[in-house]
Amino acid sequence: MTTTKRVPVTEGLFEETAEGARLLGSRCATCNSTYFPKSPVCHNPKCSGSAVEDASFGPSGKLWSYSVQHYAPPPPAKFDEPYEPYTLGLVDLPEGLRLLGRMTADSGDLEVGMNVELVIDRIHSDDDGNDVVSWMFRPA
Amino acid sequence: MRDVAVIGVGMHPWGKFPDSSITSMCRQAVEAALEDAGATWPQVQAVSAGSSRFSGGKGWGLNGNDVVEDMGPTGIPVYNLSAGCAAGGNAFDIGHMLVSSGMYDMVLVVGGEKMPKGMIQLSGVDEETDPEYLRQVAVGMPGPSFWALLCRRRMAEHGTTEEQLADIAVKAHQNSVHNPNARFRQEFTREDVLNSALVSDPLHLYEICPVSDGAAAAILCSPEEARKRTMDPIWVAASAVATAQFDDGIPRGLASPAPADGHAYHSEALLAVEGCYEKAGVSPKDVDLVELQDNTVYYELAFPEEWGLCEPGEAGSLLDRGQTVPTGKMPINPSGGFLCFGEATTAMGMFQVCELTWQLRGQAGARQVPDAKIGLGQTLGLGSNASAVILKR
Repeated sequence: MTTTKRVPVTEGLFEETAEGARLLGSRCATCNSTYFPKSPVCHNPKCSGSAVEDASFGPSGKLWSYSVQHYAPPPPAKFDEPYEPYTLGLVDLPEGLRLLGRMTADSGDLEVGMNVELVIDRIHSDDDGNDVVSWMFRPA
Repeated sequence: MRDVAVIGVGMHPWGKFPDSSITSMCRQAVEAALEDAGATWPQVQAVSAGSSRFSGGKGWGLNGNDVVEDMGPTGIPVYNLSAGCAAGGNAFDIGHMLVSSGMYDMVLVVGGEKMPKGMIQLSGVDEETDPEYLRQVAVGMPGPSFWALLCRRRMAEHGTTEEQLADIAVKAHQNSVHNPNARFRQEFTREDVLNSALVSDPLHLYEICPVSDGAAAAILCSPEEARKRTMDPIWVAASAVATAQFDDGIPRGLASPAPADGHAYHSEALLAVEGCYEKAGVSPKDVDLVELQDNTVYYELAFPEEWGLCEPGEAGSLLDRGQTVPTGKMPINPSGGFLCFGEATTAMGMFQVCELTWQLRGQAGARQVPDAKIGLGQTLGLGSNASAVILKR
């Protein structure tokens, strides 16, 4: 019996820790602006500095908005056949980021302003049958 | 800086034209604009053109060069402007500067596009350092869901209903019936719209714009050249382009700064529109009609509020009271807009210049805004580009 492997959709974007999912980004050493994915410099035009340091974000946030993706997205997005609609969320993190991600829940269970938490979960399978995982949000 | 007149406009109808080349479509728009201006091709001293990603331009966005080669090479300078869906507006802004600066007396501005089938793949870059590529791979979020997220938020904030969203599409199609250049010219009921396929919830198929082929052109000239041809030209009161600000809350890429107040607005569009108000010495209440980029019905509610044309949260009630039709207090997209024309991306700014000109001349037939004196146009494009123009008579 083989076990299904979990393969991150892209390396270096997130990690799964004992405390839960963390997104890997940057924070400006001068103005505290946050970035995901990592940014080599701070882009805030009002900031006098430019140096950033590594920072990680999550798991809590507030759902800013959501939408159900009813048609199969064009490449380079990937999905399992046959296509099943999925729900997208836009979440405000207390670290100052407005972050996109998929929702684990159907839209009927969602409400703008609700608390959500970051998880790492499967978004589709790859050609070898492995679970391709990305960050997602679930109602907290 | 001197005044600039829009002395001639021309448009190729918008739709799907598999048997027409982009060159022939542009030619039709340019010839119509020259005829309308009472000018000939050799009198044109420079060209400012929208650069297409999808058609012509030798793959380098040299679409203005295609037009010059087709019309007949006269040695004139060509400026090709790339700004996504704001390219036509961007080209207009440069064309306006070429005349207002005194550098040239007569300039052609043109945008033309033949679009590929289906939903646009936003980025042309397939690498993991490209935020748009990463967004599609790690999340899977095509264009319409961007609008859907903004729209769902509005529904929660302002109580905007699905019926109101549908009524905007109904109104657009009532206008397009009277526009011979429109791709879709049939009326829809609210039920037709709500029964069309859900694309990105809460937005239905008839509430987002399709992609189209289209072309539009204008001849801009100095006051001296204008007076040789007409007693009452249409004037460019202002033109402006802008890009976005750091923390406007619009979700660009995978994550963007979240304003503490939870708000989101298109800062690039607001900056371009406010730039026009200031340059023209016009206040929002002076504007008689608006042609705004309605990629989706959401923008017809959000933009008028963001630009001060009405109070925050008021656009829905103006719609309900029939005030956004051509004969209402705040006419929006009397042309039928891109809901009925579809987006031929780099031609869109010039499409608006054509419609505003016809409206200000009183040539818009059954979709005419009565006694229109001041008209505002606006486009929005990839890369956080925006353009705005105010024309007056």
